[in-house]
Amino acid sequence: MASLAATFGRGAMTNGWCDIKNADVILAMGGNPAENHPVGFKWFIEAKKTRNAKLVVCDPRFTRTASNADLYAPVRPGSDIAFLLGIIRYAIENKRYHEDYVKIHTNGPLLINAAYKFDEDGGVFSGFDQAGGSYNKDSWTYQLDAKGFAKSDPTLQDPNCVFQLLKKHVARYTPEMVERVCGTPKDKFLKVCEIVTSTYPASKAGTITYALGWTQHSTGVQIIRAAAMLQLLLGNVGRPGGGVNAFRGHSNIQGATDMAGTFEILPGYLAVPTGNLTTLKEYIEAKTPKPLTEHSMNYWQNYDKFMVSLLKATYAKHATKQNDYGYDWLPKVDGNYSWMYICDDMYRGNSTRAGGKEPGPEGMLAFGMNPVGLGPNSKKWIAALAKLKWLVVVENVEAETAAFWKAPKEYDTPDAAQIQTEVYQLPATDFAEKDGTFTNSARWMQWKWKAVDPPGQAKSDQEIIARIFLAVRDLYVKEGGQLPEAVLNVDWSYSNPVAPDLSEALKEINGRALEDQHDPKDKNKIIKPAGEQLDNFGQLQADGTTMCGNWLHLGCYTSAGNMAQRRSGVDDPTGLGMYHNWGFSWPANRRIMYNRASADAEGKPWDRTRPGIWWNGEKWVGDVPDMKPDAPPGTFGAFIMLPEGLGRLFSAAVADGPFPEHYEAIEAPIVNPLHPKMTSNPVSKKFSSDKDLYGKKEDYPITATTYRLTEQFHYWTRHQLHGVLNELQPGFFVEIPEGLAKEKGIDNGSKVKVTTARGSIEGVAMVTKRIGPMTIDGKPLWYIGFPIHWGFTGPEKHRGPLANAMTPSAMDANTWTPEYKAFLVKIEKA
Amino acid sequence: MASQNLEIRRSSASVLGSLSGLRVVPTVSKYIDTTTCIGCKACEAACVEWNDTGRIGTQQTGSYQTLPTLHAQFWNLIRFNEKEFDGGIVWLMRKDQCMHCDEPGCLAACPAPGAIVQYANGIVDVNPDQCIGCGYCETGCPFDVPRFHPTTGKMAKCTLCVDRVSVGLEPACIKACPTGCLQFGTKDDMVALGNARVAQLKANGFQQAVLYNPEGVHGTGVVTVLAHGDHPDWYNLPADPHVPWGVKFWKRLLRPIGVIAIFGAVVGAFAHYTKYGPKKVQGADDSDRNIPVA
Amino acid sequence: MSTAVTHRPMDAAVIAARNREDIVVGNEIIRHNRASRLIHWSVAVTFFLCLFTGMPIWTPVFGWMAYLFGGLSVCRVIHPYIGIAFFIFSIAMFFQWISDMHFRDDERGWLGPKLMTYMRYETDDSQTGKYNGGQKLLFWAVSLGALGLLLSGLVMWFPRAFPPILIEFSFLLHDVTFILFVVAIVFHIYLGTAAEPGTFGSMTRGTVTRTWARLHHGRWYREVTGDDSRRA
Repeated sequence: MASLAATFGRGAMTNGWCDIKNADVILAMGGNPAENHPVGFKWFIEAKKTRNAKLVVCDPRFTRTASNADLYAPVRPGSDIAFLLGIIRYAIENKRYHEDYVKIHTNGPLLINAAYKFDEDGGVFSGFDQAGGSYNKDSWTYQLDAKGFAKSDPTLQDPNCVFQLLKKHVARYTPEMVERVCGTPKDKFLKVCEIVTSTYPASKAGTITYALGWTQHSTGVQIIRAAAMLQLLLGNVGRPGGGVNAFRGHSNIQGATDMAGTFEILPGYLAVPTGNLTTLKEYIEAKTPKPLTEHSMNYWQNYDKFMVSLLKATYAKHATKQNDYGYDWLPKVDGNYSWMYICDDMYRGNSTRAGGKEPGPEGMLAFGMNPVGLGPNSKKWIAALAKLKWLVVVENVEAETAAFWKAPKEYDTPDAAQIQTEVYQLPATDFAEKDGTFTNSARWMQWKWKAVDPPGQAKSDQEIIARIFLAVRDLYVKEGGQLPEAVLNVDWSYSNPVAPDLSEALKEINGRALEDQHDPKDKNKIIKPAGEQLDNFGQLQADGTTMCGNWLHLGCYTSAGNMAQRRSGVDDPTGLGMYHNWGFSWPANRRIMYNRASADAEGKPWDRTRPGIWWNGEKWVGDVPDMKPDAPPGTFGAFIMLPEGLGRLFSAAVADGPFPEHYEAIEAPIVNPLHPKMTSNPVSKKFSSDKDLYGKKEDYPITATTYRLTEQFHYWTRHQLHGVLNELQPGFFVEIPEGLAKEKGIDNGSKVKVTTARGSIEGVAMVTKRIGPMTIDGKPLWYIGFPIHWGFTGPEKHRGPLANAMTPSAMDANTWTPEYKAFLVKIEKA
Repeated sequence: MASQNLEIRRSSASVLGSLSGLRVVPTVSKYIDTTTCIGCKACEAACVEWNDTGRIGTQQTGSYQTLPTLHAQFWNLIRFNEKEFDGGIVWLMRKDQCMHCDEPGCLAACPAPGAIVQYANGIVDVNPDQCIGCGYCETGCPFDVPRFHPTTGKMAKCTLCVDRVSVGLEPACIKACPTGCLQFGTKDDMVALGNARVAQLKANGFQQAVLYNPEGVHGTGVVTVLAHGDHPDWYNLPADPHVPWGVKFWKRLLRPIGVIAIFGAVVGAFAHYTKYGPKKVQGADDSDRNIPVA
Repeated sequence: MSTAVTHRPMDAAVIAARNREDIVVGNEIIRHNRASRLIHWSVAVTFFLCLFTGMPIWTPVFGWMAYLFGGLSVCRVIHPYIGIAFFIFSIAMFFQWISDMHFRDDERGWLGPKLMTYMRYETDDSQTGKYNGGQKLLFWAVSLGALGLLLSGLVMWFPRAFPPILIEFSFLLHDVTFILFVVAIVFHIYLGTAAEPGTFGSMTRGTVTRTWARLHHGRWYREVTGDDSRRA
C-alpha cells in the first residue's frame, strides 16, 4: 500500500468492489481475483455483462481469471514493471492519455530539480549510495519558487517537467523491449495497450486490479506505482469505474493495517516516533508536511489533532498538555522491526540495529500469525524459533509455528530434545465465534455478529490481549520497572476489563468529545457536548478536548450509533453501487477516494453517466466529496492528502526511485536487458546469515512462482474437521508446462522434486497447457508454479510440503514484503 | 426424493403420472453460463453440504477437477478442460450435474415403478424407496449422470434441490454461486437469459456461441451457455444427446411386441387345441401293435 | 385323523429309469433316466424363476409377479444369480443331450414348413428317432438362448464394466432372446402336455408307452424294442 500512498495520498483501494461494475476496461494483473476473490469477482462479471466491459488479464499463468478474460497475455514472473512502463510509453507516444486530466489533477506539469537524472547505462537514479544500498533523495525534488511552491509548466513542454521526464524515462520500453523482457508476443502486447489505453477519453473509465502478485516482489512497490501512474495518465483515478484497486489477502487485513498493522505506524497511518524526535512538538513539526502548491489543501496539516486525540484515547486523563499528552511513553523505534528482521535477529541471536551489540529477542508472541508457514525460507524460521526461550502462539488450530519443534527432518529441524523453547498455545476463536468488524479491501467497515460460542477454553482475541495486559500491569504495580507509566497510564476503562466489549472499543476508535465543543463562528453555541461521540474528523482538536483511537475511522460509531452495522443494500440513488447506508467506508464514509478528480476544472463530471461528485454552484454533491464541501472548483487540488494536491507521476516517497524501473528478481533468471550492469533492484533487501542462500541462474535455470487456491484458505482449511473444502483441492501440486514436462520425462500426476538453493520439496506434477513456453531475451525460459496451502500439521491425509521452504528472504525496500512470486528452482522426477 | 407435494408429470414404469391438471406449474430450469464461471467449486461444496452427501476421499492426480467423474455422493462436479484455440488456449469450466431432461432417458429406462419421477415442474428425481439399483437408468442417460451408492446400491443424482425448490428457494448450488454464472427460474426466463448472453458473445466475436438445450431430449432443465458451441465435447457434453435407441427400441417397440407375443403364444396354443385337439393314438390301447398311423 | 400309509412295491419301470434309458420295461419304454429328468427340471425351474423375477423388471404389465418373491427389489437381487444357475444347468443339459441332437439330413425341413406340417399333425413320424427335428430345434434354440441370455445378462449386471453401446445391445439381445424363448417354451409345454398326451410322463416317471413311442418316434421305438414289424 506504500505505493498508492506515495502516488495518491492514501494506501488503500481507491474505489470499491461494487464500483468495478462501472468500468469499461478492467486490467487484472498481479492478481488472480477469480481464484482469490471469487465473491468480489462478481463485479467484473457484472461489468462484462451489463457494460460489455473488456477484461484484460496479464499473468504468467492462464488462471481462473484468464478463463473469463476477453484478452489474455502471458507475462514472465517478475517483469511487470517493464510491461506497465511499455503501456505508459504506448499511451504517451500515441497521445492516448487524458491530457486535460494530466494537466489539472497530476504533477505532470511540475518542474523537477535539474540535478535529477536516471543513468540508463548504470541502471540507477541520481543519488545512489552504493555502500548503503539506498538513495539520497535530494535531487528528487521540485524546483521551488519564492513562495516555496513547485514551479509548473501547464503546457507540459518543459524538458524538466514531470511529464517530459516520464516520457524520456519510458522511451526505452518499446514493444520489442517488452517482448524481450516479459516474453509477451509483440502483437499480444500491442493489443493489450490498445484496449487498456482506450479509456483515455473523458467518456471512458477503466480500472486496474491487483493483489499480492504485484506486492510480493523485491520491486513490488514500484510495480504498483507504475500501474497508479498509468491510471493517472489515462485520467482514471477518482472516477467511478476507475482507480487502482488493491485486493487484500484477508477479510480484515485492511482493518489491521489501518489499526497499526506494521511496526512503523500508529493507528490511522500516523508515524511511530523515532528516538531523534524527543518532544511532541518536534514530532508534529517533522511529520506535518508543508504545502507544495498554492492549491494544496494539505490535509495532513491536521496531524497534531489526529495525534493528540490518539494520545488522549491511549492515556485519557493521564495525557495532559504539560506532559506532551504522554508522548514520552510511546516507544521510539531505532530501526527496522518488521517481522523479517525480527526473524533474522532471532536466528543470529543479536540485533543488527545495535550493530550486533544487543541480544536478539528471547521470546515471541505469534498472534494469529503462522510465520513458519507464511514466512519465506521456512528452515530459517524453524531454526530461529528454536533459539527462543519462549514462544506464545495464539491460534485456533495447532499450525506450523506452534509445532515447529516437531517439523519433519527435511526442514533441518534440530532434534526436539535439543530445543529449549517453551511453547504455549493459547486457543483462540474463529471469525464466526466473536463479534467485531471486518474492514474489507474497499475500506468498508462491516460489523459482524458472533454466530456460535467458541469451543472449549478458546477465548476471544480481546480477552487474550486484555488478560495479558492486565497481568503485565499487575507486575508493574507490584514490582515496578523501567518507565512503568508507559503501561500504568494506559487507559483501560472498559465495562469488562478482562474481556472488553468490542462495541466499546469501536466507540473509542471513533472518538468522543472530552469537553464541550463550541461552534468556531459562535462561541456560545455548543456543537458537541462533552462525552458525546464525534461525527467527523473535522471535530478533532489538538488541545486534548477530544479523543479518537483512529482518526481515519472517525465516523464508524457516531452519535447516531454504530455505522458499521448499517445494512441498507437498496439505497443507491446514483445507481453506481455506492450504498452509502451500508456499513461505513473510511474516510468519512466516502466510497470513491480522490473523487474530486472525477470532475473537470469547472467541477463538471468527466462522464455525466458516471459522476463521482460535481459542483452544483454552492457545494460538491454526489459521493461524499473528497474535498472541502463548499470550496469552489479551483480552490484545492484533488489529492488532498498530498502536499502538492496533485496525483504524483513522479514521487520521491518511494525508496527505489521516483519513477519505476525494471529490475530482475533477486534470484534473476537473466541479466537485465535494459542495463546489464544493474540486474536486480539495487536497494531491495537481503539477509546474510548462513540460512539465507540465494540461487544463481546457472544452477537453477527455472523461474518459479507461488500462489493460492480458491478451495483453500491460507494454512487453515487443511485443519478443517468437517466440511468438504479439503476434498475439493486435496493436496500439494506443482504446475509444469507441457514442454518442460516432456523435456524432463515427467508425467501428469507423477511425483516431482523441486529444488532451490534452500532445499527441496516433492509434490504431484500437474502438467498443463496453461503455462506457456516463453522466449526471453532470445532464449527459451521455463517457469513453474505451486500453491502455498500445505504444511506438516493438521490431519495426516491433508499434509504436504511447505511451499515457503522454497522462497528466498529477499524483500522490497519500502515494505519489506518478501519476494514470493519469482525465484529460481530446478526440477526433476522424484 | 424430498418432495411429497409436487405433482408428478411422469413416473418410471407407469403409464400415467399424477397430474391433476388443476395446478399449473411452470417448468423450472437452471442456467449455467460457462463463460462467466470461474470454477470456484462453491456449488460443489454447497451441494455436498445441503444434501449431506458426506465426505468422499479425493486425491490430487494432476488436475483442478475434484473427481474424474460424478459420484453417488458427489452430484455436482465442475469439469475443467484445457483446449488449444485461436493460437492460444482456453480453460473451460462447466458445472456437470443431472440435466433434468424434458424427455428423461433414465426415467424411460427405469423398470421400477415410481423410482424415477418427473415432477410437474420438470425436475427429474429418484425415489430410493422404489429404486432397485438395476443400473438401467445409467444406460438410459445420454449425459452419463446416474451413479450408484457403493453400499446401498441405490441410484443417486442431483435432485435440483427439489426440497428447496418446492418451498420457493433456489437450489443450493445456485445460492452459493458468487459470480452469478448460475441462475434459477422458469425455463422460459432462463432460455431468454441464455439467448441474450449468446447474442452478446456472438457480438464479441464468439460466432459459435450457443445455448445448449438439446432438442434430442426435448430440451433440458439445465440450459448452458457455451462460447464454443461447435465443440460441446470440449465441455464433456454430447453433441446430439437423445434417449439411446436401444432403450427406445426396447421400451416402445420390443416391450409391446413381446407382451403380445407371449400372450399370443398362449392363446395360439389354446386355439391349436380347440382346432386340432390332442394328438392321440387312435382307438387303440398299448397292446395293439398294428395301429395305422395317420 | 390318521390315515394308514400303504406301501406299494416300487414300480419296476420307475426303478429301472433311475439309471437307464432306451430300454423296454413291460409295456413302457424308459425315455429319460433320472439324471436327464433332474437336469431338465432344474433348467425348467430356474428358467421359470428367472422368468417370473425378470418379467416384472421388464414391464409393469407383469409387475404383479414381483410380489411372488417379495417385491421388485428382491427380484432384482435374485434374478442374476438364478440366471447363472439356469445357465449352468443349461450347460449340463446341453452335454447330457448333445449326442442325440445332431440333425440328420432329412430333418432340415424342420427349420421351415415342416414345423407347421407337424403342428397340423400331418407328419409321418415313423422314421423319427428319439427326438424329432422340432425337439432338436428347440434344444439348439434353448442352448443358444441360454448363452445369449447369459452374455447379455452379465453386461446388464455390471454396466460399469462395458461400453454403453454394448449395454444397449445387450438390452435388446436379452429381450429378443427371452421373448422367443418364452414363445418356444409355451409351445413346448403345450405339446408336452395337452397336445400330445403321454408325453409328460417321460419327464415325470421317465417312461412313455410303446404306443406313444411308435406314434411319435417310430425309428427310436424300433431301435429300442427291436420290433420292425411296422416298417413303412
